[in-house]
Amino acid sequence: MNKLTTRSLLGAAIALACTVVGGTARAADISLPPDPSQMPARQLVSYVCARCHGYSGNGVSVSPLIPILAGQNPIYISETLKALRQHGRADPHARAFMWGISNKLSDEEIQGLADYFGKLPAVGGHPSNNPALAAKGKEIYENGVAEPRVIKCIECHGEVGAGTNNVPRLAGQHPGYLALQLHYYHTKLRENKLMNRNVANITDDQIAAVVEYISTLSGVEPPETSDTSSPTNDNSSR
Amino acid sequence: MSLLKSGVIASTIWILGLSVLILVAQPARAIPPFARQTGLACEACHTLPPELTPFGRRFKLNGYTLTTRAPLVNDINDNKDNTLWLTDLPGIAVLAQLNYSHYNRAPPDTGQPYPAHAQSDTYQFPDQFSLAYAGAVSDRVGAWMQLTYNGQSGTVGVDNIDIRYADHTLDNQWLWGITANNYLTFQDVWNGIGSYTIPNFNTVSLYNNGVAGAGTTGPILNALGPGVVGGIGAYVFWNDSLYFEVSEYHSAVAGGASPVVDSVSLAANGGAVDRFAPYARIAYERDWGYHSAEVGASALYVHWIPSVGYISAQQQAAAALTGNAYTPGQTFNPGAVERYTDLSVDWQYQYNGQHNIFGLLGHVTHERQQNSSQLVAATFTGASSPIYTNPTDTLTQFLITGEYFRDRHYGGLVSFTRTTGTNDPLANGGNGSPANQYETFELDYVPWLNVRFLLQYDVYQVVANNQSPFNLSNANFPNSPGFTNIRAGNNNTWVFGLWMDY
Repeated sequence: MNKLTTRSLLGAAIALACTVVGGTARAADISLPPDPSQMPARQLVSYVCARCHGYSGNGVSVSPLIPILAGQNPIYISETLKALRQHGRADPHARAFMWGISNKLSDEEIQGLADYFGKLPAVGGHPSNNPALAAKGKEIYENGVAEPRVIKCIECHGEVGAGTNNVPRLAGQHPGYLALQLHYYHTKLRENKLMNRNVANITDDQIAAVVEYISTLSGVEPPETSDTSSPTNDNSSR
Repeated sequence: MSLLKSGVIASTIWILGLSVLILVAQPARAIPPFARQTGLACEACHTLPPELTPFGRRFKLNGYTLTTRAPLVNDINDNKDNTLWLTDLPGIAVLAQLNYSHYNRAPPDTGQPYPAHAQSDTYQFPDQFSLAYAGAVSDRVGAWMQLTYNGQSGTVGVDNIDIRYADHTLDNQWLWGITANNYLTFQDVWNGIGSYTIPNFNTVSLYNNGVAGAGTTGPILNALGPGVVGGIGAYVFWNDSLYFEVSEYHSAVAGGASPVVDSVSLAANGGAVDRFAPYARIAYERDWGYHSAEVGASALYVHWIPSVGYISAQQQAAAALTGNAYTPGQTFNPGAVERYTDLSVDWQYQYNGQHNIFGLLGHVTHERQQNSSQLVAATFTGASSPIYTNPTDTLTQFLITGEYFRDRHYGGLVSFTRTTGTNDPLANGGNGSPANQYETFELDYVPWLNVRFLLQYDVYQVVANNQSPFNLSNANFPNSPGFTNIRAGNNNTWVFGLWMDY
């Protein structure tokens, strides 16, 4: 490499560094959002949660093993974080990742995070690439399985998979994450009396079908029963 | 009882003991210092250590500072900036590697008129034993500082050091940092090239009994480590995908009373960086679903002062006092240097699924080495011997590794390395070829995430000249009649290893 090339490289680096430092404020210097009470939560998200749940703070994770939090019901987020903090939720991924992360969160921080993620634009569903499997899943979702018994999902999670209060939103969630949680509930690696009983008899094929169907749900209530308080990036044609 | 027998019995007891450990092992959380600091198990940052996941790369790029633990001691100024931020946990790590190797063939003792009864086994207990500080120093500064006992050298010394400052915008669109480290590529976060290239355990070392400078030839990019250099660099990571770094390295010779590069330090370290060595790195990573893919490139330029034949000004002055003055033509000082330009391309694909982990990674490095006329035979005019045949030598190294692990408990890898270059008989001996080619096959068992047993087999097709007693040019051992049929495969090696940290 000749001297000119070396100088050019160094010059480009310095120019880039100046652009970064001069044109972008440090995290702590960024102007407050409209709701100042969100600042601590926003910082927590930026420095901690965003590493897994969407690097920009949008609550949309990349790995299918990590849940999408954007638009999730705040009460569910809050209760789940408290359960993780107390080691009440003890499935393998909860132990490996969230036990430590939630360990020192205060109730106020948990509430702030729940509100923050709850207000983010939710992700909607998408058309199935396997309509036959989705149809089988729709049957399980809406009517359950008679024998051996699997309880229908629609009763708590709603027709569009939006959930409510402490019942999680399923629409738009990573299929891989949903399948993993159903497996955990089925094997009681994730303990929840209601869900453990509801899916005690579910098979791997039924999990695949119901997850395929859930991935098509929009999470948006029909107009006559709409709850439009939560904005949605819906691309579903359910 | 002979030493050989006692060694075998000791090995048997050790292996049996480990077997019992394997049998009673139950899955548990790993607790090295980063895990203590973050509350995250090893799998958050590693597929299997030391290979990083996308999360682990960001943890490192952010200066090892991620924590949810409140500081034990904290002070702020009027602007509410932290002026002191001390964790309640000093991040102390203990790292150990044990290694039992069995070479395909033991060479005779070349100093004897008859073949000696040399062992073909070597037991490195430990291969390495390290103490390290690893973790946050403040809310924006973190460090990895390692002190290591090296079983091969039998000495304790400063090992890898990486001290970082890092920060980012609130939306993580821009992440930037500064790294001060003593090992070129130790700061890198991908595993296709550099100090954390996979395979990482027991970096291939040839049976080097009686051969100076034995080992597999490689580019200087892999050789600028602790005790040789110190560097500082700045980096940015944009949009969670594009990485750019510029660094520069200086000679940082360990053990000298002063930072001056003189004959003593050159002799101790086999040479030294002259002035500064600039290094630039760019990489692009895209993560989707369970997948993560990276492609990158780097460039390094080094002025290297070789130790061979170097005569310092001090030595000249001392010689003059004794009446044996050197003439300027007899010294290499100050202009004799080797100028290296290393250009590399690296890649890493990773599938990090619920149960299955796949990886495919590697690099190609092309090195161009220009030797000063004082070092080259045709233009050499001094009294000492020239050390190169060619004014310009080249070297190209290609490495590719494929790996698979199941549930982070079982798995293995296959790695292929091929190095070629220009023939330089004075530098490499024999016909001058620097070539080597070998594969590494590895099986891994991980009973706990911080304890790893492995069985490795290294297979050699080409070992050229002066890299081992068993090389292309060494058709026979001249002092050992009958010791014939020398071939590269004689270097094949079984390795049983244990790696752990806590």
